[in-house]
Amino acid sequence: MTVDLSVDVGALHLRGPVLAASGTFGYGTEVPLLERRALGAMISKGIFLKPRNGTPPPRIAETPSGMLNAIGLQGPGVDALIRDYAPQWERWDFPVLVNINGESAAEYGELAARLDGVPGIAGFEINISCPNVEQGGMYFGNDPRAAAAVTEAVRKRTRLPVWVKLTPMVSDIGVIARAVEAAGADALSAVNTFVGMSMDLNSYRPRLSFRTGGLSGPAIRPLAVHLAHQAARAVDIPVIGVGGIMTADDALEFLVAGCRAVQVGTATFVNPTAIATVNDGIAAYLATKGFASLADLPRYLPRD
Amino acid sequence: MVVLDAPIAGMREVALGMWVVALEAPEVAASVKAGQFVNLGLGGGYLLRRPFSVYRADGDRIEVIVKAVGGGTARLLAMRAGETVSCLGPLGHGFYFGGGARTAVLISGGLGVAPMPLAARDARAAGLQVTWVHGARTAEELCSESDGDDVIMATDDGTSGFAGTAVAAAPDADLVLACGPNRMLAAVAARWPEAQVAVETYMGCGTGVCLGCAVPLVRGGYDRACTEGPVYRAGDVDWEALPSHLPYAISA
Repeated sequence: MTVDLSVDVGALHLRGPVLAASGTFGYGTEVPLLERRALGAMISKGIFLKPRNGTPPPRIAETPSGMLNAIGLQGPGVDALIRDYAPQWERWDFPVLVNINGESAAEYGELAARLDGVPGIAGFEINISCPNVEQGGMYFGNDPRAAAAVTEAVRKRTRLPVWVKLTPMVSDIGVIARAVEAAGADALSAVNTFVGMSMDLNSYRPRLSFRTGGLSGPAIRPLAVHLAHQAARAVDIPVIGVGGIMTADDALEFLVAGCRAVQVGTATFVNPTAIATVNDGIAAYLATKGFASLADLPRYLPRD
Repeated sequence: MVVLDAPIAGMREVALGMWVVALEAPEVAASVKAGQFVNLGLGGGYLLRRPFSVYRADGDRIEVIVKAVGGGTARLLAMRAGETVSCLGPLGHGFYFGGGARTAVLISGGLGVAPMPLAARDARAAGLQVTWVHGARTAEELCSESDGDDVIMATDDGTSGFAGTAVAAAPDADLVLACGPNRMLAAVAARWPEAQVAVETYMGCGTGVCLGCAVPLVRGGYDRACTEGPVYRAGDVDWEALPSHLPYAISA
């Protein structure tokens, strides 16, 4: 039995519910073609208007069932992205959304304007949740007014789908979710990494040069399922679940908790074929349960 | 690049606490070049793979050098023949042997011996005369295996061979290849900016997407040890900005 895994996220029709999370799949050109076959969509590495060097090493540290990273959004800037990557994306059989970043709402808007209409770019994921930049990032994501202002600045400059990636470092994710929905977001990605810290017992210093980093991996999964569920209950737009998905069952937890789709991130670092494995496992699960399509999967999403 | 479940084929101790682990990995063995590495997934709650330079490749087998520097490597050394690890590789860019060179000196410190047997193999295949220089803190920490037309051993404490560092013991040659602690490679860079050095960094994915293995460059910015490296022109690396003490490393 062939199971229909396709999903609609706003105006975007995706062939499957498993997406590559920003910062874990590069620009999609690094990983051999085989590993792209199951992608519902790819969200590119976060980009700023200008090239950025990122943070000094060490940038990553392993923690129990997880990892801390502080890459600092190293990237080539928008001109290189348009020149080097978008033409390749145009030829692919799945949509690519660009994860956009700025130090002010105006910068986010400017970036959206520059990328709007570039062939190969299907939409935007606004990053208001990166914990590893000195300016902007997470600081927009934990203030509902700032989050809405950034979303509105982007919304005004593009007709492409606009998703907003939320930070878990908030007291009530529903407040932020509703604020960006009202400001024109088409979907939410929930959630980015949690801020964490780990100490080196030889140097008596933090293990990361940035001092803190974003915690990802299976360690955060139950926290992320809860936050994605809370976000999904708060809004009418689709929520894409993100956080520590390693297996099909992990992804299905987010889907049952009310998410329209999921993003796989850290698992790709461990296994370049993780996305295909998760996608195929979801299909196998649905077939075993007798569901003809992902749309038939029961969801637990009580309304408050 | 392939991912396969590689059965452990055997282990032997080549220095105090330093082991050669043989793995059945035919596709990797057939294509690996000197200086390239594999990223091994150990399971058992250790999320990230661990990078290891390929030490030797023969038939269906590859060998890597392992020292228990943390829980992950201790777990690997506790495994028995026939148990499998997930092997991703070969990865990265290795050493270059062209350019009309006639002599090569292979300089290693401690675990930095890891890429050198393959380097000796490939250097000979390119028609080069090979001088093998290996150093460690003490005699018992010297790797007992070597492969050179000339072999020079060095110990920091003078308990065997040359008393001093491997870099101090090494002669000049047309090609200088080095691997070891980053502070040793900084000394190589000071003496031979054109040397090819295999650096050690933390590493996440090994495939170029996570940007965790950043190597600071003299020209500014960073690139990736897993993709542009792990072998660099010594004079291109900003050694001051590259951390020098890592719990695990490309050579570990």
